[in-house]
Amino acid sequence: MKNRLKVLRAERNWSQADLAERLEVSRQSVNAIETGKFDPSLPLAFRLARLFETTIEAIFTDEH
Amino acid sequence: MNCMKNPAVRRYLARFSAAMVLYAAFLVLSIWLFVHHHPTGPVAWLLAFLPALAIILQIAAFGMYLSEEKDEFQRNLQVQALLWGIGATLSVTVTWGFLESFVQLRHMDLILVYPLYCGLSGLALGIQQMRYR
Repeated sequence: MKNRLKVLRAERNWSQADLAERLEVSRQSVNAIETGKFDPSLPLAFRLARLFETTIEAIFTDEH
Repeated sequence: MNCMKNPAVRRYLARFSAAMVLYAAFLVLSIWLFVHHHPTGPVAWLLAFLPALAIILQIAAFGMYLSEEKDEFQRNLQVQALLWGIGATLSVTVTWGFLESFVQLRHMDLILVYPLYCGLSGLALGIQQMRYR
C-alpha cells in the first residue's frame, strides 16, 4: 500500500526512530510500513492518523 | 523502539532464561540419579520427563511472547519464522524417516527435533530480518 509517511515525517523533521518511539513500535516496523512492505492493521493506521492529525485516507492509498 | 526496551521481549528473555536454567538443572539431576541410583518405574518416567518439561516451558514462554508482543510487524516476523521453522523441520524429519526406512540411513533421535526446529526457525528469522532491514 502506498503512503505519505516519509513526507509527513519530513514536514515534522522526524526520523524513522522518532516516529517509532511515538508509536511504541520498532524502527524496523516504521521502515516496513513506509516502504510498503507491510500493511498496518486498522488500529495502527488510526494511531498514525491521530499522531499526524489527519485521516487514514490522507496517509494511505490503496494503489500498489 | 529498541528491542531491549520492549517489555514483551524483556519478559520473554527472563522466562526463556529461567526455563534454560531449569533445563540444565533437571538434565544434570536426571543424569546423576540414573547413573548413581538406577531408578525404575514411575520415578524413572518422572525423571526422564523433567528435562522435557523445561523445554515445554520454553515453548510456552515463546507462545506468551507472541500473545504479549504489541508491535504487530515484529509479531508477524516471528510467526512467519515459526511457520518456516515448522515446515522445514517437518520436511527434514519426514524425508529422514523415509530414507531411514528404505535405504538404512542412520537413525535420527527424536530428541534432535527440537534443536533442529530452533536452528531452522532462527535461520528463517535471520533471513526475514535482513529482508526488512
